[in-house]
Amino acid sequence: MVLQIDFKTGKPVYLQLVDQIRYAAASGALRQGEVLPSIRPLAEELRVNRNTIAKAYAELESQGVIETIPGKGCFLKENNTPFTKQVRQKLLVKEVDEAVVTAHHLQVDRDAFLALVKERLEFFERKVTAKEGK
Amino acid sequence: MTNETPVIEIRNLVRRYGRLDAVNGLNLTVRPGRCYGFFGRNGAGKTTTIKCLLNLLRPTSGTARVFGLDPHGDEVPVKSRLAYVPDLVAFYPWMTVRATLEFLASFRAHWNRDIEADLLKRFQLDPAKKTSALSKGQRTQLALIGAICPEPELLLLDEPTSGLDPIVRREFIETVIGAYQSGDPERRTVFVSTHLISEFEGLIDEFTIIEEGRDLLTMEADGARDRFRKIHARFASTPPALDLAGSLRVRQSERELEILADGASERLMAIIAAARPEDVRCEALSLEEIFVESKTLVKAKA
Repeated sequence: MVLQIDFKTGKPVYLQLVDQIRYAAASGALRQGEVLPSIRPLAEELRVNRNTIAKAYAELESQGVIETIPGKGCFLKENNTPFTKQVRQKLLVKEVDEAVVTAHHLQVDRDAFLALVKERLEFFERKVTAKEGK
Repeated sequence: MTNETPVIEIRNLVRRYGRLDAVNGLNLTVRPGRCYGFFGRNGAGKTTTIKCLLNLLRPTSGTARVFGLDPHGDEVPVKSRLAYVPDLVAFYPWMTVRATLEFLASFRAHWNRDIEADLLKRFQLDPAKKTSALSKGQRTQLALIGAICPEPELLLLDEPTSGLDPIVRREFIETVIGAYQSGDPERRTVFVSTHLISEFEGLIDEFTIIEEGRDLLTMEADGARDRFRKIHARFASTPPALDLAGSLRVRQSERELEILADGASERLMAIIAAARPEDVRCEALSLEEIFVESKTLVKAKA
């Protein structure tokens, strides 16, 4: 799971982290029972305030996405369903739109774009399958 | 937690040098546990303000309180709870790194040896080396070790990263977050004066921009990025006349518009979208851009 902060979105930094961890959970990059990076190394790596990471984790905990086990760290909760299907799709629209706009500027036509989407989907599906196979 | 004593409280601070008003009616409050940015151009009054907090200068008028105490009257109680890293670090040149740290530790009631060992290793500082043989970056690293080991409640940083190479700057900030802030986050306050703002962007909770000795703008960092936006729009031909009331500034070049927005970005985006641009983007202003544009932003507010 790679977390990235983008100050240009204008979205509060802790919410960016909350969303990215929820995405990671939805995409299989983070799986049930897996441990999240601990606060201090993550804060150092992203060079953000330690309290921002703590706030993001507290928010995820209150949403029931993760749980903190004292002395062990934060874990993705089992049976975690972060979003309904509808919400997930809505969130995805923005990302898809960006890709569509970029494709337009790069003069990638409709068929080539759809083929690329299909290829990437298969790539990620293979990744999730490989992880589960372990 | 409204009744907690601010770590720093500055009220109507004035400090003159002869006829020059270096600080001229400054107000700001730093609450415990915050990381507070103090941004200003060279000569805006940043260092003078910090010197008033450290009792290196006495205010001409107004008050500066640290932990609710007077830095002059309660000099020892104040200084024992804070540490300071200036932009130009000076050590006794004949002392080694080890001797310098022992010297600094001798003034402190508490000194964390584990942090000292960790940081010496992390920065690859040779304890046997004389301080006169250290590079500027290594001197700053030594000063940072000396500031963090006493585990003070307040870390005052005055332009700490100017003149350092990017790797040293990065390590400096990581160390402030990791070794200092993570120790006891509720009671670790950082006050950093800088004009290298982008590097500290992720660290800053709240900031004050100082201009000609006065606080020009004080805001929460997340709130500021949410509020101040820049919209770029490109049209197929010369853009039509649009009613962009609520924008702080509109710049047009050929087929493109750049609009500076204060909180009204969604409404402005809708107006622009209705005029069918070829491309439209909306970005938050970074803290550095907010600093650069601060006069425009404040003028519109008034």
